[in-house]
This record gives sequence, C-alpha cells and structure tokens, in this order.
Amino acid sequence: MNILDILITIIVVTILVTIVLGVVTYVAYKLRLARRPAARDDEGGTWYFERHEPGAGG
Amino acid sequence: MTASRGRSLGPLLLVLLVTGLTVGGIYWAVNSPDQVRVFLVRLVLISLVLFLGILLIRYFTLLWFGFMQHTERDIGERSDAELPPVSIIVPAFNEGAVIGAAIESLLALDYPTYEIVVVDDGSRDDTLASAARWEGRGDVPVRVFTRSNAGKATALNLGIANAKYPFLFCMDSDSTVEPDCLRRAVVHMEDETVGAVAGNVKVVNRDSLLTRLQALEYIEGLNMPRRAQGFLAAVNIVPGPVGLFRREALEDVGFYDTDTFAEDADLTLKLITAGWKIAYEDQAIAWTQAPDRWLDLIQQRYRWTRGILQALRKRKRTFLKPFPDFPLWLSALEMGFEAVVWPMMNVFAHLFFAIVALLFGMGELLLYWWLLLTLLDLAAALVTVSMEEEEISLVPLAVIYRFFFILFLDVTKAFAAIEELFRFGMGWEKLGRTPVLHAEEGV
Repeated sequence: MNILDILITIIVVTILVTIVLGVVTYVAYKLRLARRPAARDDEGGTWYFERHEPGAGG
Repeated sequence: MTASRGRSLGPLLLVLLVTGLTVGGIYWAVNSPDQVRVFLVRLVLISLVLFLGILLIRYFTLLWFGFMQHTERDIGERSDAELPPVSIIVPAFNEGAVIGAAIESLLALDYPTYEIVVVDDGSRDDTLASAARWEGRGDVPVRVFTRSNAGKATALNLGIANAKYPFLFCMDSDSTVEPDCLRRAVVHMEDETVGAVAGNVKVVNRDSLLTRLQALEYIEGLNMPRRAQGFLAAVNIVPGPVGLFRREALEDVGFYDTDTFAEDADLTLKLITAGWKIAYEDQAIAWTQAPDRWLDLIQQRYRWTRGILQALRKRKRTFLKPFPDFPLWLSALEMGFEAVVWPMMNVFAHLFFAIVALLFGMGELLLYWWLLLTLLDLAAALVTVSMEEEEISLVPLAVIYRFFFILFLDVTKAFAAIEELFRFGMGWEKLGRTPVLHAEEGV
C-alpha cells in the first residue's frame, strides 16, 4: 500500500465516519429534545409587563 | 409523553429513509449493467468539476467583494457633538450568568449619549436581579423591564417601544461589545437610505478545539459573506449580538415579527423589501459565547437553519420574481443558497464521491478533489484572518474545518431543511451557559 492509497483511505473513511457521526448526533439531539419536559406555563396564563423599580430587589 | 414520542418519530423515520435510499443506491450501482456504470463514472466526473466550479465562483466572488469592502472601510472619525443619541435594547431569557458582563461592556462604551433598556423575558433564573444591579450605578441610564415569557422578538419590540432615541442598538445578553462599537456603527447612518448596520460578531471563548473551530467559522464562513454583502450595502442578516437600526426604518416595516425562529434574518429581509440599505461595519465588534458542547452546537445550527427557512418561506413568491425587488430577490437567493442549498450539496457530494471512489476505484481523483477544496479553504482562511487582524494560529484549523467540521454541521442543516420543508413541529430550547469571559480575556 503506497502513500497515495493511505491518503485516499483516510479521506474516504473520514468522510463516511463524519457523515455517520453527523446523523448520530442529529438523532441524539432529537432524542434529548423529546425527553425534555415541555416548557412550563409559569404565569398560569396571566400576562405582565412592568418596569423593575430600582431598590425593589430581583 | 405521546407528544414527545411524536416529535422524535418523524426525524427518526427521516434518518431511516435517507439511510435506506443511500444503501439502495449503492446496491443498485454495484449490480447495474456496464453501460450504467460507465454513465455513473461520467456523472461523477462532471459532478466533481461542477462542484469545484461552484465552490471557486463562491469563494472568489465573496473574497473579491470582501476585499473591496475592506479597502473602502475607512469611514473616519466623528466628534462627540456629531454623534446622535442611541437606545440600546438587551432582551434576556435565563441569562443570569452572563448578562452582567454584557451590561458592564455597554457601560464602558466610548459614546456621548445613550441609554440601556433591558427586557427580562420571564426568566426563571436570576437574570432580573443580575440586570437590576446596574440600575442607577453610573451616568448612563439603565432601565430594566420584566415580562411574562413570550420570546425574543416580542421582548425586543417591547424594549424598542420603551426606548426614547431615534437609533436603536439591539444586542444579545450573552455578548459583550468593544468600547468603540457604537461609534463605528452609527457613522453609516449619515446615509439616510441606510436602515440598519450589521456589526462583526466574534467568538470570545476560544479555549477548546470546538470553540476555536467556531471562531474560524465566524471569520471565514459568516463574516466573509457579510463583508462581501456589505460592499453592496445589502447584508441579508443583521446578527442578533450586534445590530444598529434606524427607528424610522423599524416603524416602516412594523418592527420584529414573532412567527420565525430567526427574527434577525426575517427583520433584515423586511427592511430590504421596504427599500432600506443594510450596511456592514467590521470594526463594530461584539464578542459572543459559542456553544462548547457538540449537542448545543447542533441545536443552535438546527434552529438557525429552520429559522432562516421560515423567513424565506414567508417570501417564497420572491424567488420567482427578480423584479422589481431585485435586491430582495438577490438577498433571499443568497440566503437560501448559504443556508440550505450549499449544505445539502456538500453532504450529498461528499457521500456520493466517497461511495463512488470505493465502488469504481476513483480514489485518486477524490484525493485531488479534496486537496483542492482544502487548499481553497486554507487560502480563504488566510485572507479573511488577515483582513480581520485575527489570530494567525486559526488558519491551520482550516484543514479540520474542511476535513470534518463543516461536513458534520451540514448534516444537521440538511435534516433541519428537510424537516422545515415537511413542517415538522419545532420547540424552543435554551443553550447551556457558563459565565462569559470579558473580551480581552478571550483573545
């Protein structure tokens, strides 16, 4: 096996492994998304918008 | 439970379908008659040349216009009396760990008259308390508002509604800005046809290979097209971390829409549609924290791709009508190419060429093709890193960038594009954060 063949093998294997890794990571991301609970409705449907008063704390 | 199962089933079926088609294609190619195999070989040759040709045209066009912008960028200095007052809007959702650094950098701006308006978008952490600490602490007025959670676009609109000056600087709460950022950007507003100025976003956390690759990507992959578009005053995305807007322009287009996941791209397209020019200022620098975990990075790019496609979908008729809105047509076309067509082409071409190299013994051709791509990336990295006076040590990373990074991200972009095409459901998910560094510590 000469140097050219080694380089070709590295490139082909890297391309294929990268694509497979990309697909696996995408699936992992979708699974993580599905396992997380849906966003809570903290405000119980009430809507507010107000200015924070300095000195009133967070 | 049923809903989450439904959310994951579609993408899994999609992956299975794509894998099935690939395996089926290989089987078909291996078992096809000689005539078909000869045809396939010719197809590969033509595709290789075409792909390289498109890549060359893309790189040289962007580099040439980017270089032109670079040589004409000197906009001169202005005295304090010549600078108009600016309102700075900072929307924040669960950014308690980093918002302090953002406000601190804003208070250090070298600018005569400005105010800071922070809108806490119903955060569940200490964002409100962290922001409120800065109220009344210096000469620059800081006002903090809090609201029930309704998304970034709504928070920005409410911040703008409570801002008092004619120019509005919108930034992300996970970013910091350079002291001369505003001074540099606002000069472009002397041209009354300019509705917005896009700044230069750089990665601040460069402490791992993943974030250093993103630092290079921001310079070569994101800022290079923006710089080229800036030469034509037709930037198609004013980025979230650093964008200056003329209030009159925002009123003209009805502010931010809330129906996409890329409110920045959507607003920019609205401004272009209304005939406003969008300038680019490479010296208006914001430092942003790049995701330091692979899944967070994937999540960010997935959201960007789908958001851009949602913004484009709203203007799908534009693609068929270059006139009379030629700038919009060009911007939409370029946005669609960069966000969807190019990533899909990249994945398909690599997969196709690698498989064919294995099946038909065309490995040598693939090697030279790949070497040319890498040389192009190295050259582009060298030019863009030099133009931005950035770390030269980022340039060699262009090999990994080509070898692995771009292809890896393009797989997710391709799936995101297919999901958006079939309108799969999409939820919002917050990126994980560690406290951001100050700009000078990151470089």
